[in-house]
Amino acid sequence: MTDEMGEFTRQAREFLDAHAARAQRAQFRWGEGDDRVTYFGADPPEVEERKLRAAREWQRTRYENGFGWISGPPEYGGRGLTPVHELVYDGIESEYDVPDTGTLSVIGLGMIGPTILVHGQQPVKDRYLPAMYRGDVIACQLFSEPEAGSDLASLQTRAVASGEHWILDGQKVWTSVAQHSQIGMALCRTDPDAPKHKGITAFLVDMSAPGVEVRPLRQMSGGCDFNEVFLSGVRVPDDHRLGEVNGGWRVALTTLMNERATVGSEGSGPVAEALSPERLSALMRATWTWDDRALRRDLSELLADMTATGHLNRRAFRQMQAGVAPGPEMSVAKLMYAQNLTRSAHFVSRVLGPRIIADTGEWGTYAWAELLLATPALRILGGTEEIMKNILAERVLGLPKEPGIDAVSPFRELPKSGAGGAS
Amino acid sequence: MNDGKEELDELREAVREFLAAKSPQSAVRAAMETEQRHDPAVWDQMARQLRLPGLALPSDYGGDGFGLTELEVVLEEMGAALLCSPFFATVVLAAQALLASADEAACARYLPGIAAGQTIATLAAAEGNASWDPALVTARAERSARGWALSGKKSFVIDGAIADLMLVVARTIAGPSLFAVDRGAPGLRAEPMTTLDPTRAMAALTLDQVPAVLIGAEGQGGRLMSRVLDLACVALAAEQAGGARRCLEMSAGYARTRFQFGRPIGSFQAVKHKCADMLVRVELAEATAREAARLADEAAAEFGVAAATAHICCSQAYLFAAAENIQVHGGIGFTWEHPAHLYFRRAKSSELLFGGPAVYHERLLDRLGI
Repeated sequence: MTDEMGEFTRQAREFLDAHAARAQRAQFRWGEGDDRVTYFGADPPEVEERKLRAAREWQRTRYENGFGWISGPPEYGGRGLTPVHELVYDGIESEYDVPDTGTLSVIGLGMIGPTILVHGQQPVKDRYLPAMYRGDVIACQLFSEPEAGSDLASLQTRAVASGEHWILDGQKVWTSVAQHSQIGMALCRTDPDAPKHKGITAFLVDMSAPGVEVRPLRQMSGGCDFNEVFLSGVRVPDDHRLGEVNGGWRVALTTLMNERATVGSEGSGPVAEALSPERLSALMRATWTWDDRALRRDLSELLADMTATGHLNRRAFRQMQAGVAPGPEMSVAKLMYAQNLTRSAHFVSRVLGPRIIADTGEWGTYAWAELLLATPALRILGGTEEIMKNILAERVLGLPKEPGIDAVSPFRELPKSGAGGAS
Repeated sequence: MNDGKEELDELREAVREFLAAKSPQSAVRAAMETEQRHDPAVWDQMARQLRLPGLALPSDYGGDGFGLTELEVVLEEMGAALLCSPFFATVVLAAQALLASADEAACARYLPGIAAGQTIATLAAAEGNASWDPALVTARAERSARGWALSGKKSFVIDGAIADLMLVVARTIAGPSLFAVDRGAPGLRAEPMTTLDPTRAMAALTLDQVPAVLIGAEGQGGRLMSRVLDLACVALAAEQAGGARRCLEMSAGYARTRFQFGRPIGSFQAVKHKCADMLVRVELAEATAREAARLADEAAAEFGVAAATAHICCSQAYLFAAAENIQVHGGIGFTWEHPAHLYFRRAKSSELLFGGPAVYHERLLDRLGI
């Protein structure tokens, strides 16, 4: 570690020691404490409100002490250091008991802030960047649509120029944190006669503007952790445009590049703790499946892959700290994280047997149903497994792209779902 | 840290170049057809030019004092090239058994010869039941006025037909113990076994009142073998990771250039995703092997878990990559001339060498305290 990094680490610890307590990892005892195991939040509204307030306050504290936007430029309240410093800080902060700021940071500070910085016009940068990193403004990402999932570039939400403004019409879906957001980054079709990647423009939308309607979307696990966002004649000033007119695809790539760096770093937190070797073995003891040979085999396979994923992450992190650009490790870790969690949930369900199909009231049994029902999302969100594999094979192994994908014809002429194309 | 990586890259480059010159596929095929199953000239050059046998041995015993991290790099390349060599048996199994015994006299006597590439050595632990568990050893050691004498049978002894020095696990009244037996000792017979993997020679030993020297303390074999197996699993994992990476490279290369239906087969998602799945497994395998080696060098408490993890992940990854490599190649991959089957054979034999899934899963759970 360099002297400079050592000094940064010292300052981070000094700040955290002054403002937070060390995290105490409670000794796990079967039957004690909260037995909820959940991937998605889905807290009752009053709890959610309290957590959000704490998250905003903690972000403000970070910001005021120089840790709110470590890699951001000083003129917008950043500290002017590198993304590696950010990772190092995150690693240190995880040793402390501080509020979870995911609602602000995963999408807004992690992905949209850096996009505004690169592609935003001056008034937008001045107005929003400091406010975002101070915890005042939360941002969401208005990308996916009912007809544009993996093929994001086929989006149909329209933006039409009208004087100094643009008028937006369309529907967005799977929007996390839209209900808490003050701004949203929307990708819109501005030229349907251009090839699909070349007729898209990105905008920053005021979520309180007339015509913006956020509706909770109930997912299969029962909670509402995402939203549908309807845009009906929403007026957006031209200075809220990000990047060039019809240059939105490049802007989107900036955002998505930052997504990968965020998602790959998962693997700690309450779910990971629930799936620790000691917790899983406690579960097997409590259910008298301790010596079931088939289950033990499954458990070992699972723990081997979870340990391996941890080692992959750890090595990539160490490389980055040493200034070596990471290879495909983060994408691999993301794929494995989804698979490990899915397999874990199914392993636990086999250990529990009927206790996960009907609630006996026993501690730590039916509580696993929530995770089980959340896992199908993991292989879809942030890029489906299939798309991730295409990317790995094409970018890392150099395999050729699928021929016949039309990137030339005007968007208007491309076949679309339900248009009778597959009669 | 950065400097460390550059040094490792240089080492890898040197070994890769050496193996490209000395162990191309034609040389592998020639070596595997010989009785010795390796090329003594290459073994000699490996010691003289690259000082590989002594790389990770302590400098007190004629080695260069590097760690498992460096040895790992060498083994990855050897695995990738399918090098036919007594390197694994000598440098990993035998040398690590000597070191684990903490018998300084024995180390001083044998390790310098190993470091210099003058002694080929191996470890004879498993017997007819194929278990490496020292508790199941039946070969006996008896003491008389003339010293120790071993009787019994050993199987799956890697390079046992050519080894100058055999470290044999045998039972005394005190329990499993380690003994040294010299080649040509009276009462010792070594028969080559027919092997699924022709690139890794194995022998069956028959011992009838063979004079032997006790290494370390009597009854120490249980603890010693546990340590040696952990290290051997990590070393094997390195070979497996290297082999798996080579299978992936072969598949990706073929998928880019083989045309069917007027397009490269790698543009079909069925093939593309197969290659991506291989990549995922190979990346994991490499990470576990390298991390376990690092933890061994740091004498970290999690080493046992990491070693068991590496053994499982690398075994699975190699077998998967070797099998899928044949599938990606189609018919040509099933021919004798194509190297794919050599990797398949090595992958399968490596998976099962130390007992395979029947043993290694319980081993991981044991290391995790479950």
